[in-house]
Amino acid sequence: MILKSIKWRLQLWYGLILIAVLVGFGCSAYQLERGRQFRRIDDEIHLRIRMLTQQLHRPPRGPVPGRFPGEGPPPEFPDDGGPEDSRRPPRFILTPQLAALFDPNALEPFYFVVIGRDGREMARSTNAPAGLANGLEEQRQENAGGQGLPLDPLALMRGNYRELSVYLPSDEKILVGRNIQPELEELRLTALKLTGFGGVILFIGLTGGWWLVRRTLRPIAEISAAAAKISAGDLSQRISAADTESELGQLAAVLNSTFGRLETAFAQQQQFAADAAHELRTPVSVILTQTQTALARERDAAGYRQTVEACQRAAQRMRRLIESLLELARFDAGQEVMQRLKFDLAKTVANGVEMVHPLATEQGVKIITELQPLEIPGDSERLTQVVTNLLTNAIQFTPRDGEIRVRLAARDGLAILEVSDTGKGIAPEDLRRVFERFYRADKSRTGKGNSGLGLPICKSIVEAHGGTIEAASTGAGATITLRLPVNA
Amino acid sequence: MRILIVEDEPDLLASLAQALREEGYAVDTADNGEDGLFNAEGTDYDALVLDVMLPGLDGWELLRRLRKTKKTPVLMLTARDQTRDRVRGLDTGADDYVVKPFDLEEVFARLRALIRRCANQTTNVIEVGDARIDTATRNVSRKGQPVELTAREYSLVEFLALHRGEVVTRSQLYEHLFDENESSLSNLLDVHVSNVRKKLGPDFIVTRRGHGYGIG
Repeated sequence: MILKSIKWRLQLWYGLILIAVLVGFGCSAYQLERGRQFRRIDDEIHLRIRMLTQQLHRPPRGPVPGRFPGEGPPPEFPDDGGPEDSRRPPRFILTPQLAALFDPNALEPFYFVVIGRDGREMARSTNAPAGLANGLEEQRQENAGGQGLPLDPLALMRGNYRELSVYLPSDEKILVGRNIQPELEELRLTALKLTGFGGVILFIGLTGGWWLVRRTLRPIAEISAAAAKISAGDLSQRISAADTESELGQLAAVLNSTFGRLETAFAQQQQFAADAAHELRTPVSVILTQTQTALARERDAAGYRQTVEACQRAAQRMRRLIESLLELARFDAGQEVMQRLKFDLAKTVANGVEMVHPLATEQGVKIITELQPLEIPGDSERLTQVVTNLLTNAIQFTPRDGEIRVRLAARDGLAILEVSDTGKGIAPEDLRRVFERFYRADKSRTGKGNSGLGLPICKSIVEAHGGTIEAASTGAGATITLRLPVNA
Repeated sequence: MRILIVEDEPDLLASLAQALREEGYAVDTADNGEDGLFNAEGTDYDALVLDVMLPGLDGWELLRRLRKTKKTPVLMLTARDQTRDRVRGLDTGADDYVVKPFDLEEVFARLRALIRRCANQTTNVIEVGDARIDTATRNVSRKGQPVELTAREYSLVEFLALHRGEVVTRSQLYEHLFDENESSLSNLLDVHVSNVRKKLGPDFIVTRRGHGYGIG
């Protein structure tokens, strides 16, 4: 469960990597230090072995009685450069110079043991630990092939003692060693220090990493909290992303703008539904009051007829509204299929004008057309609907003896259709909103059959053709302009 | 009781007016805000039924302007049922609220309540002497016996009962019992007064010569 969390996985991973690096670094540092110490010790031992060897390798020519160090004055060794007599057993004489090197009271007391070819000890320093020879004998076996290498010492650790031993060609063996406990102690301390240091680094690394991971992942928690609230229905939620530079900040910004659009769309949808319900309330009220009044007492036939007629008008109004709503819903869902056939827009417009002609005559409004034949691809039936809708609107807002101009021309690869009336025009604050659903310039619903959805439907149809629709007003009448692409 | 209805939907206006007339109210109508305000300012209606969405002058504006001169109880009719709309209506000076679509029964009850409240009456039943007037059921009884009254007679009794202890002038009675289409020059009022006296006793309505009528 805990490993499913990114936070913990990240922490685990770099924790492991950090430990590996620290262990590697610590071991190397320890090994380096250990090597350095041992090299220094070995070098010193080596030096002493060489000096001891020199003593052994310089036997006098004449028969000299073997003497132990310190038993008499040091004999003279006239170096005549003659060949060494290897058959004669070498003598061992400890010079004071040499003795100083093996001072048991020195800070780093070295010891030595010299063993003759017969296996007996020829000499040893006073501070040499007992029982060395046994181990040496085994080495001799192992080092059997090493006679040719007189000064290739064999290094060995025995407890706290560092010992180097060497077989001379003459089969004598020299061993020099030292108790290196102080050095071992120092190394242990170093190891301890390294471990502590590594621990501190690991702690700092993990703490810092934890902080960083938490800080980095906090926006994710906020994002998921906000998203959860939004999915629970609270669309006003936003992610508070102070740090907009980071990748998560950018993600938060993108999500916020998405949430914003979602909220707007949702609010629009809600408004639309509320408006639709609102539009249905009035005809339902008519039906309810009409029927309740009629049923309150006995009526004559004319009374009932009146009621039924009023109910029919209300029902018709609801039907128109429902049809418009469904049409818009289909446009919104992209289900409304537009034909893409070439047709003469001028003919379509003329058709539309023909259709509204009776209404215009009834209202005493003249329709003047200036139509340039123009082929465009699209759905001629739908565009007829747009034209009749615009004309019906214009007729409604044009006083008796007014006129409506319908102009169709091509410009810049666009078919431009203008419908202008000589009515009272549209107020500037209404111009932008006339294509909004249920928006009416006058807040009443007296406009016969005016559902407030006519212009929005026109807009949907025109936009489905890739065109635009605009309203303009000069004060003396309004003009609706359609722009439709000629080559789509 | 005289009521003004301001509503722009003709079918709704017609049926509301008819229903209220059949309930015994004198009803005037207006189908736009300007006419509605003009009527409401010129006449002392017992109540106003006001639609919010009106051409010309909307319901809010009409109410705001009317409140400068009149305290007429106002029942708002609206298609908007959101709380903020209701709060706005009540804050602007509306006395009550009915959301479309409504039941006529509810409109009647709310109007009765408005008129009653306006006359500082807390219950539906008013007792005057040995007569008992139930404004909810529009029944009048005397000494426990129900008395049959015509709608106009009942309105006369109710109006006087709601203003008992006061002198009610003839013009007041004409203004509240007859709508704008009925002639106030007729002697209809005298006929109604005399009929009520026949049914509820000669002393039920007292004539204050030169001033008007009163009961109680």
